[in-house]
Amino acid sequence: MKKKVYVGLSGGVDSSVTAALLKEQGYDVTGVYMKNWSQDIPGFECPWLEDYQDAKRVAAILDIPFKMYDFEKEYRSLVVDYMLDGYKNGITPNPDIMCNQEIKFKLFFEAAMNDGADLIATGHYARIKDGKLLNAVDTNKDQTYFLYRASRESLKKTLMPIGEYHKKDVRELAKKFNLPTATKKDSQGICFVGKVGIKEFLTHELGKQKPGNIVDENGKVLGEHEGAIYYTIGQRHGLNIGGGLPYYVVGKDMKKNEVYVTTNISSDKLWKDEFELSKLYFLEDLNDEDLKNLEVRTRYRADLVDCELVKENEDDGKVILKESIKALTAGQSAVFYLNNQCVGGGIVI
Amino acid sequence: MNTTRLSSMKTIYLDYAAATPLDKSVLEHMLPFLTEDFYNPNANYLKANQVKSKVNQARKDIAIILGSRSNEIIFTTGGTEGNNIAIKGVMENFPESNMLYAATEHDAVISPAKNYSHKEIKVSEKGILDLDDLKNKIDENTVLVSVMYVNNEIGVINKLKDVAEIINKVREDRAKNNNPLPLYLHSDASQAPNLLSLIVDRLGVDLMTLNGGKIYGPKQSGALYIRTGTKLKPIIEGGGQEDGIRSGTLNPANIIGFAESLKLANDLRKSEEKRLHNLTSNLIDKLLNNSKISLNGPTKNRAMNNINICIDGVDNETLIYKLDQKGIMVASGSACSASDQEPSHVLRAIGLSDEKSRESIRISIGRNTTKEDLEYFYETLMELI
Repeated sequence: MKKKVYVGLSGGVDSSVTAALLKEQGYDVTGVYMKNWSQDIPGFECPWLEDYQDAKRVAAILDIPFKMYDFEKEYRSLVVDYMLDGYKNGITPNPDIMCNQEIKFKLFFEAAMNDGADLIATGHYARIKDGKLLNAVDTNKDQTYFLYRASRESLKKTLMPIGEYHKKDVRELAKKFNLPTATKKDSQGICFVGKVGIKEFLTHELGKQKPGNIVDENGKVLGEHEGAIYYTIGQRHGLNIGGGLPYYVVGKDMKKNEVYVTTNISSDKLWKDEFELSKLYFLEDLNDEDLKNLEVRTRYRADLVDCELVKENEDDGKVILKESIKALTAGQSAVFYLNNQCVGGGIVI
Repeated sequence: MNTTRLSSMKTIYLDYAAATPLDKSVLEHMLPFLTEDFYNPNANYLKANQVKSKVNQARKDIAIILGSRSNEIIFTTGGTEGNNIAIKGVMENFPESNMLYAATEHDAVISPAKNYSHKEIKVSEKGILDLDDLKNKIDENTVLVSVMYVNNEIGVINKLKDVAEIINKVREDRAKNNNPLPLYLHSDASQAPNLLSLIVDRLGVDLMTLNGGKIYGPKQSGALYIRTGTKLKPIIEGGGQEDGIRSGTLNPANIIGFAESLKLANDLRKSEEKRLHNLTSNLIDKLLNNSKISLNGPTKNRAMNNINICIDGVDNETLIYKLDQKGIMVASGSACSASDQEPSHVLRAIGLSDEKSRESIRISIGRNTTKEDLEYFYETLMELI
């Protein structure tokens, strides 16, 4: 009996090639489009229908069954509202990590299993060996950072075949398989926001923000910002102060609606030797020796830095870095690696 | 995996009801007005006057085909605009009144009609207009009835003359009863000119929408016939062009292109009618030999270029993508039928379940379609279902 695999088809090239490769490898493949978001933002049309049609077209060309799972309600409450709440509280959450945790590797996984699948597959650049989450061969595209909160159970039953390829080879494969998505542009930014910038999205959802002061290290007011929620620690652009050295955001006070900046690139407010994590989550059971020899990534595609994790309890811990890291942002994830394996992570406080 | 698609592979276009290629001779007539003869036809110098006289000649040419006066024709940007000007134009003039339209009308009729008091006229399971229902639904406040000439999805040819007869009867009664409210008949004839006569007096219409994009003319071109005495409130206001009904600088290239395409359609109509009829009836016979396939819409009084079939157990979107992969372009019942969107209201109106609607495809043929094309289509379809 062929194993039944449900592939998440997004309408993009990566998931299309995933389905084609698995079919070629002899799996019984079903394509599933997850409808997570369909709302237009004024001035920007949501591309969901186009993506849906591309996904269905790929399924037709590969001659595999096609389904749609509608997770729009769940996505709204578990991913979008989570993100908006974070921004309102002055932190910068990562909705892609939340989407993987709550939607793709939970709801999609469960629905596929209920519908009779043996395995699921996604078009992520990562590899899974014996349930271990490993770096993609194309290190430049590696997406393990976004996957560290997936459930262990789901990863044991997940295939990510394009983790074995470089992006350019994936496009070549798409051409070889005659997939119409071969030349389709990669989606950029946060998946549901599409072409809309995060600023436009926040304004649309939360309304126009009150302007407030931009304040330097000495408490001097330098100018006015359009709303503290739009600013992220380490951000260099968009302060509209002008002249002289560039300014960097080093902090903000949501209650006072103030944004704090510095021109001092080596300010200890920007560079950290250690930081606190909450909501720790592990894909592997780590021993004390492992915890002392981790590597950490604090942003998608950032370099790995050697570190030690000192657990305070099940949920919280302190990361002690071998070399300092710039611009840690509350709400973002710090993800741990041990010998090219993604082993877990937590949320920066 | 059998997904070979050669770049040299021929393509077979079977969606002429959605769009037609611009005829090359039509294009040649249009080109000078895009470049050297670009003048605003309403300007006062000689060159502009010359352009204006070409526009007026186009109007006369169209009037001859419609058997109307040339001042009864205004130029529009096509089907949607013509329908909007007609429906809103009448209804805004008689805001206390109501209108009726056939359940199988295009959205370009239904959407504007929904701004006003309205009722739908039922159709039979073959898509034929229920004239008794029409009679029953016309009341003393009805000012407009809109019935399309040829249905774009299932090819029903409506007998406008029969509709006009009912309307005339109502008019006579109103005259007797001193009810001064007029009653107009509008018809969206976008799909008709390639196949049928457009003589407005024979059809009995007061307003008729024409569309260049379906008759080998330029897209976004067309005209609205407005019978003398039919009062419309303009919905596009400005410089007062087109008798004040449709303001905006005239587009001579599109106007002349539209007129040329209408003339050509009228000239070719009789021979095409027969040729297309032979092609479709032959294909329909073959298709209906397959027990999974049934025909949506009528067998008689059907546009000779239209086939709409339901294929048992076959998802139409998937089939369309598979045919596309083989170079064949066909349509689903309606352009949008993605899972959570409404299935075709036309197929619903003839009593098809939503499930059956999603198993239906439309094949519409045209001037470049050959017997061989349809044989290839038939064989490919049989392989795929």
